[in-house]
Amino acid sequence: MLKILIPTIMLFPTIWLSPSKWVWTTTTLQSLIIALVSLSWINWSSETGWASSNLYMGTDPLSTPLLVLTCWLLPLMILASQNHIKAEPIARQRNYITLLASLQTFLIMAFGATEIIMFYIMFEATLIPTLIIITRWGNQAVRLSAGTYFLFYTLAGSLPLLVALLLLHQNTGSLSMLIIQYSQPMALSSWGDKIWWAGCLIAFLVKMPLYGVHLWLPKAHVEAPVAGSMVLATILLKLGGYGMMRMMLMLDPLSKDMVYPVIALALWGVLMTGSICLRQTDLKSLIAYSSVSHMGLVAGGILIQTPWGFTGALVLMIAHGLVSSALFCLANTTYERTHSRTMILARGMQIIFPLTAVWWFLSNLANLALPPLPNLMGELVIITALFNWSPWTLILTGAGTLITAAYSLYLFLMSQRGPLPQHIINLQPFHTREHLLMILHLLPVALLITKPEIMWGWWY
Amino acid sequence: MVNFAAMVREHWVNVLVPLGFVIGIYLDRWNDQKLTAFRNKSALYSRELKPGEEYTWK
Amino acid sequence: MSPYVITILLSSLGLGTALTFMSSHWLLAWMGLEINTLAILPLMAQHHHPRAVEATTKYFLAQAAAAATILFASTINAWTTGEWNIYCLSHPAATILITMALALKVGLAPVHFWMPPVMQGLTLTTGLIMATWQKLAPFALIIQMAPFTHPLLLTTLGLLSVFIGGWGGLNQTQLRKILAYSSIAHLGWMIIVTQYKPQLTVLVLITYIIMTSATFLTFKLMATTKINTLAMSWAKVPTITAMAALALLSLGGLPPLTGFMPKWLILQELTMQGLPLTATMMTLSALLSLYFYLRLCYAMTLTISPNTNNSSAPWRLQNTQATAPLATLMIMTLLLLPLTPLAQTLTN
Repeated sequence: MLKILIPTIMLFPTIWLSPSKWVWTTTTLQSLIIALVSLSWINWSSETGWASSNLYMGTDPLSTPLLVLTCWLLPLMILASQNHIKAEPIARQRNYITLLASLQTFLIMAFGATEIIMFYIMFEATLIPTLIIITRWGNQAVRLSAGTYFLFYTLAGSLPLLVALLLLHQNTGSLSMLIIQYSQPMALSSWGDKIWWAGCLIAFLVKMPLYGVHLWLPKAHVEAPVAGSMVLATILLKLGGYGMMRMMLMLDPLSKDMVYPVIALALWGVLMTGSICLRQTDLKSLIAYSSVSHMGLVAGGILIQTPWGFTGALVLMIAHGLVSSALFCLANTTYERTHSRTMILARGMQIIFPLTAVWWFLSNLANLALPPLPNLMGELVIITALFNWSPWTLILTGAGTLITAAYSLYLFLMSQRGPLPQHIINLQPFHTREHLLMILHLLPVALLITKPEIMWGWWY
Repeated sequence: MVNFAAMVREHWVNVLVPLGFVIGIYLDRWNDQKLTAFRNKSALYSRELKPGEEYTWK
Repeated sequence: MSPYVITILLSSLGLGTALTFMSSHWLLAWMGLEINTLAILPLMAQHHHPRAVEATTKYFLAQAAAAATILFASTINAWTTGEWNIYCLSHPAATILITMALALKVGLAPVHFWMPPVMQGLTLTTGLIMATWQKLAPFALIIQMAPFTHPLLLTTLGLLSVFIGGWGGLNQTQLRKILAYSSIAHLGWMIIVTQYKPQLTVLVLITYIIMTSATFLTFKLMATTKINTLAMSWAKVPTITAMAALALLSLGGLPPLTGFMPKWLILQELTMQGLPLTATMMTLSALLSLYFYLRLCYAMTLTISPNTNNSSAPWRLQNTQATAPLATLMIMTLLLLPLTPLAQTLTN
């Protein structure tokens, strides 16, 4: 664990001490090295399921893919934000990279924590850097209300979680993830216990986000700079899914009856947010709503608590993390050239940027779960698990898949095909950096399907 | 001829992260040593190791 | 003010608090409180500004009323039980009266009304004394009294304080008033746990003093008392401006910062006592306070004010204040959370 955490902490002096013209190169290189070394976590050699553990942190098949994804994302975020931060004074550039690196530090501690309270503290700790990234480096004045929404939605969900966790601690005597599944099942029946059940999950459902408490997410995505959108879509939403998988183990006897309304809401949300995407005019907002839709599927998969459901949820989380981050990067490349997120103002880009059109095409196909990509695997496994639970869910999930395909097509047609408007002929060409960024997003997606065991979790 | 003094001055920060790896791996090793000090020594769970088998758990 | 007078006033301020700390007799405790009040009055009124004089008068009236009530209630207790000892307070009317009087002294919720206007009339230094040192003596008495007081009274005081502290600060633009409401909310957290674990009250008091001192010293360094001028501070002291945003979030109690420690431990104690509902209400009230801290962060650090500073003086003036205390307090404000076990050991 420390072999990644300490180098990540060493990134801070590296950022502040490197000469100003080398800041971006050095940090990209060093964070990429950290990401490559973090791949060694995938090689488990443990019978207990937990590996590279010390007293407070460890990795297991559930957290490893998310940890590696966290490490992989930092160089990509640095690459993506290079262009629009370069114009600022050097101290602010360093500040920005420091925030991104601190986010990685907190996330590694959150996914690696073996104690639930520590996970909770680190889960909350990610709020401050994200808040600063959104509200300090966003573009419009609305970013302040987006930051407030982000902070207060999350906190209003997670402060009751703290009380619920402390109650659990009082009942079981320990909150260590290593032993908590061996503790005695609790006799839960009263109304108070049901509220406790809700308190344990609401924080994560808000973070996922579940349809109905998702309003903070499109706002935050739209207002955040590209690195903020990337980290939100890739990792921060997955904190919710990860936390839910950890908590479901302890909520057992009660969950069977309590999950019905939540599953219904999650699957209904897949349809609703997909339909919202169909009539979206704002590029980033569309991608954000598509995230909510996919996360609804993940929430459904986790809540039915079968091994297949968990596996599908984890696979979909990893695949969606990479793909939605790629889409946000592409949206940002358009934004940096046309300075507008409105789709109707930037059509027909295929004519001037053919290679980028290929990236758009591939990311859209991945987003709508084309075989053989891992997105398809995740969705299929979740849909199968849900079908097995109740055949009627196929109406919702099937229609959801159809709508996903429809809005992906809409997104591709609107941004790439059609006539090129007169006002956007004079755009600067793409940098190699941006193509590299897309390759680094899409290559792992393509490679992951060749060995999906590494992101299956322990339930196969 | 490469100016080594200038290169060291410009790029010495690149040492920090690898240094972090060294420290981290050292601390991990040290911790593993501590945690595995009693492996296969418990009175209840210890057993004869099969030939070629290293430890019962890591 | 002449240094001799200042010395005498400050040492009497210390004397009063120390006297209350050490006394076991109600009369002596009352005397300590009075000495303490009388010593700070000249400090409050030293700038002959109408607001300062008004604040001094209000403070004097509130404190004198509280002190008179304490004297009255302890006399009743002595009359009925024949006992002046602080630990022998058994008459129910006397306990309630004294608790309310002490609540008035520190500024707990239903009797908090003097506090924001008084803070508004003071300089930042006197305000710092008012928000920190002046809480110590009454809290020493509250902690000693807590076992004899009705739990419902303390819980009501606590919940009312956190909610009114949160709500009251929402529509303020003056920093000193915001800090007064923040102080009320923190006092609510302190009082709610007094009966169950007085050590935690002390811990909250200490962390609150650290965080508030850091905030007051920051504002003093920036010479700002309004949100408007706060928005200009990024040009004067950029590093401290960045730190101050985190310090405010720490006051709000966001997790990786020091401010989370007291909230966490108090919630743990409340749930252990079987009061999850109270605990949940306390946590949700923290959101109210967080909202105005967040607004300060927005104005100070996260946006750049569209109006410009017309004088270039702030850029040229060399700072003459000692910054070592600010630096120490700021680091403690941000980074004490990992030391929670140590803090628990020290206060136990």
